[in-house]
Amino acid sequence: MKKIDYGQVMAGKTPSIYTAKTKSRLLLIFGVVLALYLFSTYQTNSTPAELVIGLPNLFALLAKFFPPNFEVLIASSVVAAFSETIQMAIIATTVAAVLCVPLSLLGAQNITTNKYLYGFMRFFLNVLRTIPDIVLALIFVGIFGLGVFPGILALIIFSLGILAKLISETIESVDMNPLEAMQASGAGTIQTIYYGLVPQVLPQFSSLVLYVFEINIRASVVLGLVGAGGVGLVLDQQIRLYNLENAMAIIIGIFVLVVIIEFISNKIREAIV
Amino acid sequence: MAELQMPPKKKNSPVKTIKRSIIAAAVIALYIWTFLGINIDWARAFERMVNNFERVIPRLFNPDWDAFDKVMDAMIETLYIAFAGSLMAAILAIPLGFLAANNMTNNRFLTGVGKWILSAVRAFPDLILALLFVVAVGPNPFAGVLAIAIGSTGMLGKLYSEVLESIDMKVVEAMEANGANKLQILFHGVIPQVIPEFLSYAIYRFEVDVRASTILGVVGAGGIGTLIFFASSNRNWNEMGLIILIIIVVVTIIDFISAAIRKRIV
Amino acid sequence: MIEFKDVSLVYPNGTQGLKDVNVKIKEGEFVVIVGLSGAGKSTFIRSINRIVTPTSGALMVDDQDILTFKGKDLRRLRTKIGMIFQNYNLVKRSNVMKNVLAGRLGHTGTFRSIVNLFSKEDRSLAYESLRRVNIEEKLYSRADELSGGQQQRVSIARVLTQKPTYILADEPVASLDPPTSHQVMSYLKKINREDKITTIVNLHFIDMAMEYADRIIGMRAGEVVFDGPVSEVNDQTFEQIYGRAIREDDMRGGADREED
Repeated sequence: MKKIDYGQVMAGKTPSIYTAKTKSRLLLIFGVVLALYLFSTYQTNSTPAELVIGLPNLFALLAKFFPPNFEVLIASSVVAAFSETIQMAIIATTVAAVLCVPLSLLGAQNITTNKYLYGFMRFFLNVLRTIPDIVLALIFVGIFGLGVFPGILALIIFSLGILAKLISETIESVDMNPLEAMQASGAGTIQTIYYGLVPQVLPQFSSLVLYVFEINIRASVVLGLVGAGGVGLVLDQQIRLYNLENAMAIIIGIFVLVVIIEFISNKIREAIV
Repeated sequence: MAELQMPPKKKNSPVKTIKRSIIAAAVIALYIWTFLGINIDWARAFERMVNNFERVIPRLFNPDWDAFDKVMDAMIETLYIAFAGSLMAAILAIPLGFLAANNMTNNRFLTGVGKWILSAVRAFPDLILALLFVVAVGPNPFAGVLAIAIGSTGMLGKLYSEVLESIDMKVVEAMEANGANKLQILFHGVIPQVIPEFLSYAIYRFEVDVRASTILGVVGAGGIGTLIFFASSNRNWNEMGLIILIIIVVVTIIDFISAAIRKRIV
Repeated sequence: MIEFKDVSLVYPNGTQGLKDVNVKIKEGEFVVIVGLSGAGKSTFIRSINRIVTPTSGALMVDDQDILTFKGKDLRRLRTKIGMIFQNYNLVKRSNVMKNVLAGRLGHTGTFRSIVNLFSKEDRSLAYESLRRVNIEEKLYSRADELSGGQQQRVSIARVLTQKPTYILADEPVASLDPPTSHQVMSYLKKINREDKITTIVNLHFIDMAMEYADRIIGMRAGEVVFDGPVSEVNDQTFEQIYGRAIREDDMRGGADREED
């Protein structure tokens, strides 16, 4: 088909741009997507009509969250909960950053030349990433009881999956030449990795660790909902007690925290890379 | 042989040294604060572990297959939630994406507002949104759909606006020169350039949403998360094992399909 | 002394890298291997420090058959063989000093090297090596801030710091312009003379081979088709090695160097 030069298309005079085949295919895809959507909305009782009917109700209920009672944010228990969330994320990110080093080396094809070991590692990391953080938290709460410790464990495992995958991809993209030179001069494996690989991946490594820290802050907020410590626990209590103005203030507090952390980590990232 | 000379010391500017020391001190202070502040009852955690380990871990690896139909139904409901939510977001994000793109909205104030709305929405964890909607519309899948739709709109809108900002504006200029009106430029100059990326991001977001919607039920917003909640409060770890297994398999399949489709589009 | 005895190498995909190679290289020689790309020059050089492993024959380095070496022996062999690469193979984000000290890794314990505890001798040796190739003022520059010629000099300094008995150079000037190429070759030649380090260089530029080599080995399709002192080499020899007439691009050119 002739390529259409969009610059030539005049107002009011548009030639048929697509062939009949493309048109019918597009129509089919569109139809399938629409049908699936209608079916999904039917199954979940969330038709647009439902939304329109529910909307006033929704706003009425949301109105109960306002005005937020910001005084709750200076209550010592809430401050402690916020600190706990940050502390959980710091510990979990630090531990995950250390643990991911061997895992990501094993999951990088250019370092782990053993096909089976590499394949197994990749599979393992992918499976790890599919388990939702909340499920991990519930399991650890089941084992260790309520508290921060199961929350931290859940965050470690959850962020380990993400971090190890991203870092092993970074490792796979490095320049292998200097590593070859070091091997040729009789350096051992650990020396080669430390002198040839580490300087090359360090900036991305730091940047990814910061990224995972952001994810962990969000996740640790949520983990509290299932009793794994942090500010989510307080939020859950306030909602259960129907103190919605307090809940809203906490939600806004979480929002501000996430934005601040994101801002700081962006600044650090800019300074590194 | 003559005595070899040591290399000269590296000269660091004092500003750099001071800056580094401040950063190092801040990081150390942060860690001290963290480890002093965190309150882990090791003795209790250990005692619980001794009691519970046997009761939890082996059962997780011994899934309760009798619950298969129930779990699978819930998983399918999760997929419906994710699909309805993603599609809603894919559409809602379009106007927001245009609003936030510098080259589409020529008003700096408006683009600022657009970007701010998008990042504000992104800052809320999905589960918190779900919690809000459960309070608002009751504990049903509809709350889940709304949570997913709103949560995804933030991310998709941002990605869309980045795609829009990277399009080839010469095409648009050429059309303006030809006297095409705004709507015509939009449909013939802009949309053809962004459709593949928009679609690809929307499909990718569906992948993310499937993962996200598996847990919404924990706060009552429908899907397989409801079963996760019950399984954990009833300490039914065999069923939890099956739930995890099904999540892993379904999520992996969805990832695989979506990656294949995205490869074809772009 | 390096001695190839009936050495052959077949790659897993069936390509014949080396075929019945018999070569003896004595202490202090400056040998240039010439041949078209794919003739086996690289395989020849890389067999000596076992980056590739020949599939049959015996390869003697200092009267030991290195083809049987594994683990520790292999590392010890490699510490006495320095290697220079076409693309310099420096860690671009690390500074020059760190890159040069990497040459000492084979001589340094793993723990010491990881905590950056290189001895005083090692550090002064690294500095001295940089001075010998006249690039000591770039000591703390990052490698990616240097030009190609400067990077290759740093990689020569890295090899010098290794204190090798042999230097292998695999197309060391292929990525450089003519004047820089001559500079790099001159340094290699100078080091060969002053330190009596046996040097084996792969080149595909005929004029450079003639200018710097003591001895030329010609290779074609994995076989040694010529081996003799420079004095015995003429244009016909190269046509025989290359299997075709000599062309313009087989010459590097002297650029702005003076002829005498």
